[in-house]
Amino acid sequence: MNMHHPKPSFTVLTSNTEPKKPKKNGLFVIGLPLVGLLFVFSLYQLQFDYSRIAEGFVKLADIVQVMFPPDFSEWRHVLLAAIESLQVAILGTVLGILIAFFLSFLAASNLTPHPFIAWIIQSAASLLRAIPTVVWALIFIVSVGLGSLPGVLAITVSAAGMLIKVFAQSLEEIDKGVLEAMQATGASWIAIVMQGILPTVKTAFIAWCVLRFEGDLGESTILGAVGAGGIGYELTHAMKSYNFAGALFVGLVIFIMVFSVEFVANRYKMKLKVRSH
Amino acid sequence: MNVVQMQSARKMKRAQTIMFLIVLLALVIWSSIGTEFSLSALFAGVGESLRFIFFDFLPPDFSSLPMLLEPAMQTIYMSIVAMVIGSIVAGLLSFLAAATTSPHPYLQVFVRAATSLFRNIPVVIWTILLVAAFGLGTIVGTMSLILISIGMLTRSFAEVLEEIDMGQVEAVRAAGGGYFQVLSQAVIPQFMPGFIGWSLYNFEINVRASTIVGMVGGGGIGFILQSNLKLFQYQKASMAVLLVLVIVLVVEMITNRVRERII
Amino acid sequence: MMSLLQVEGLSKIYPDGTKALDNLNLEIHPGEFVVVIGPSGAGKSTLLRSLNRMIEPTNGKIRFKGKETMGIKGKKLREMRRHMGMIFQGYNLVTRVSVLKNVLHGRLGYMSPLKGALGLFSKADTEAAKNMLQRVGLYEQIYKRADELSGGQQQRVGIARALSQKPDLILADEPIASLDPASSETIMHYLYTICKEEGIACLCNLHQVDIAKKYATRIIGIHQGSKVFDGTPEELTDDMIRLIYNQIQPKVKETA
Repeated sequence: MNMHHPKPSFTVLTSNTEPKKPKKNGLFVIGLPLVGLLFVFSLYQLQFDYSRIAEGFVKLADIVQVMFPPDFSEWRHVLLAAIESLQVAILGTVLGILIAFFLSFLAASNLTPHPFIAWIIQSAASLLRAIPTVVWALIFIVSVGLGSLPGVLAITVSAAGMLIKVFAQSLEEIDKGVLEAMQATGASWIAIVMQGILPTVKTAFIAWCVLRFEGDLGESTILGAVGAGGIGYELTHAMKSYNFAGALFVGLVIFIMVFSVEFVANRYKMKLKVRSH
Repeated sequence: MNVVQMQSARKMKRAQTIMFLIVLLALVIWSSIGTEFSLSALFAGVGESLRFIFFDFLPPDFSSLPMLLEPAMQTIYMSIVAMVIGSIVAGLLSFLAAATTSPHPYLQVFVRAATSLFRNIPVVIWTILLVAAFGLGTIVGTMSLILISIGMLTRSFAEVLEEIDMGQVEAVRAAGGGYFQVLSQAVIPQFMPGFIGWSLYNFEINVRASTIVGMVGGGGIGFILQSNLKLFQYQKASMAVLLVLVIVLVVEMITNRVRERII
Repeated sequence: MMSLLQVEGLSKIYPDGTKALDNLNLEIHPGEFVVVIGPSGAGKSTLLRSLNRMIEPTNGKIRFKGKETMGIKGKKLREMRRHMGMIFQGYNLVTRVSVLKNVLHGRLGYMSPLKGALGLFSKADTEAAKNMLQRVGLYEQIYKRADELSGGQQQRVGIARALSQKPDLILADEPIASLDPASSETIMHYLYTICKEEGIACLCNLHQVDIAKKYATRIIGIHQGSKVFDGTPEELTDDMIRLIYNQIQPKVKETA
C-alpha cells in the first residue's frame, strides 16, 4: 500500500477558543411567543360564548342530518344558475386579462414610456386588488342594479388588479440584452413586443390566467350570496328557507364546479412543469 | 427529429393554438349571451359606477370611524385566531397528506380529500351553514376562517413537504434515526420557512375573506359594511371600505417584512 | 481474523425489472479500507445501501458483527444502522441547521425516540461532536449554518457525522464525486487517516481509479451488479481496469 499521502492542501485551524455561539434566530425567540400572545389576546377580545359553541355543534349535527339525502328536485334551476356563475367567471376573467395585458406594458418599469405612468397604474392596480371582490360586487350592485353585470364587473376589476401586477413582474424579468439586441436591429416597438417579448412571457402569462380563472370561478359562485346573480343566490335562498337538503345539493354542485377546475388546472400546471424541464 | 417532422409538429402546434382561441372566443360569446352582456351595457355600467363612486360613495364619512374601529379589530382578531389554529391543525395534517412523510397511502388520500372539501367549498357557504347552527357573530366568522385556513394550508404545507431534499432524510435515517427523529431533525428544519411563509399568506387571505364572511353573518367589518349599504348610507360604507383597504395594505406590508427576514 | 461483514448471494431487482445486484459475495475485515470501483449504474450505490438496508435487497445473506441482519426491523434495524456510518455524494446535511447539530445527528441512533425527536443531545455527545469537528478542521465553523459551508467543508461535516456514530464500518458513497481535485484530496485524506486511527473499516465507492489505488487496502470491481475483481491495488492491472469499465457482456453480443 502506498504510504505517501500528501498533506491536505490547507492548514488545519487548531485554535482552542470556542467560537462564539451565535444568538438564536431572533425571529423564533421573539416571533413565536409574540404570535402566541397575539393569539391569546385575540381569543380573549373575541369573548366567545363557549356554551353557545357547544350547543351549536348539537344543532349542526341536526342540520347535517336533515341535509341527507340531498334534494335534487330543483336541478334544472340550480344548473342554470351554475351556468350563469360559470359565464360570469369567464367574462370577468377574460375582460380582466385584456385590460391587464395592455396596462401591464405601461406598468412594467423596463417598458413603460414614463416612470410616472408606471407608478400611477401600479398604485391603481394595488387599490383594485386590496378591495375584496365582494365589496366591488356590492358597489356595482348599488350602481347598476342586481343581475349578472355587477358580478362580471367585480371580477373584471379584481382580476385586472392582480394580473397587472403579476404580468408587469413577468415583463420586468425579461433579459435586458434581448430587448437591446432587438432595438439594435431597428425593429419597431410593436415588432419587439410580438417577436421578442410575447414569446418570452407567454408561458408565465398563461399560467397566471389559469390560476386567476380558478380563483374567479370560486368568487363568482358566491357573489350570488350578496345579490350578484348565479348559484350563490340559490344557496342562500335554500338556507334561508330552511331547505337544508336543497342547500346540500347546491353545495355539491359548487364543489364539483370548483374542484373540477382545480383538477384541470393542476393537470395543466404539471404539463407546464414537464415542458420546462 | 428531421425537418419534415419538425414542420408538421409546428403546424400541429399552430392548429392547436388556433383551436384554443376559437374555443375561447366561443365561450366568451356564449357567456355574453347567457348573461345578457354587451359592450354598450359594459360602458353604461362603468359610467354608472363611476358616477356612483364619485358622487354618492365618496367622500368617506370620517365621523363614522370610531364606530368602525371595534368591528375592524374583530376582523383582525378572527384572522389571527384562524391563522394560528389553522396552521397548527394543517401542520399536523400535512404530514399525513404529503407523499414523502405520510405513514400510509390511504391516509394520504383521505386527508387530501377531506381538506379539499374545506378548500373547494367557498368560505361563504361554510359561513351560511354555520350561521344556521351557531347564530350570527364572530364565532361563526372565526370557525369559517379556520376551515378555509385548514383547507388551504394543508395543501400548501404538503407541497412544501413533497419538495424537501430527501438526501437529508436519508442521512438521518442511515444514522439510525426513527420516524419521529427523522421528522424533527431532517424534515422540520426544511419545512419551517415554507410553514411560516404560507401561514403569513394565509393571514392575508383571512383578512380579505373576513370581509365577505362578515357580510353573510360572521361579524367584523363586513357586517357593518353590508348594513350600511342596505340602509343607503353610502358615505359610511365608503369609510368602511377605506378601512378594509387600510387593513389589507398594512397587513400585506407587515407580512412582506417578516417574509423577507426568514428567507 | 474474524470478518466484520459477510455478504453472500446478495441480489437486488428493482420493481421495474432492473437487476442492480446479481448474486454478489463480499467480506470485510475490521480496519480494512475497501474501495469499490465500477462504471456508473454498475450497482455500487445499491450495494452500499443494501448493506445498511436503506434499500431492501431482494435476496441474499448479510452478517454484520456476527449477526444476521436480513429481515430485521424497527429498533434492531436502527441499532444495526448506528454501527454503520454513511457518507453521501451530495453530503446530505440538513442545510438549515448548524454544523454542530448535523454532527449530533450521528447520535440519534443511540437516543430514545422522544429525546431524539426533541433534539435533546447530552453534554457528552455535544463535547464529542465538537472534538470531532476539531479533528476535521472545522472548529471555527461549528455554529454556522450547514449551507454556509463550501462543498469540501460540508463533506468534512459528513465525515464527522458518520464518526460521531462510533461506527465499526463506514459506507462512503462517492464521497468526492461532487468536489474539485484539491478538496477531493483533503476529504480522502481525512477519511483514510481517521478510519485508520480509530480502527474503523471503510467501504468506499469511487469513480477515480488512481485515488482508489492510492488509498485502498483492497479494491473490488463491480460490473453490472456482479463482482468481477477482488484484490490488492497491485493486482489491479490496466487490463483488469479495462475489463471492469468496458466489459462486453456475452449476452449482448449474441442478441446483437
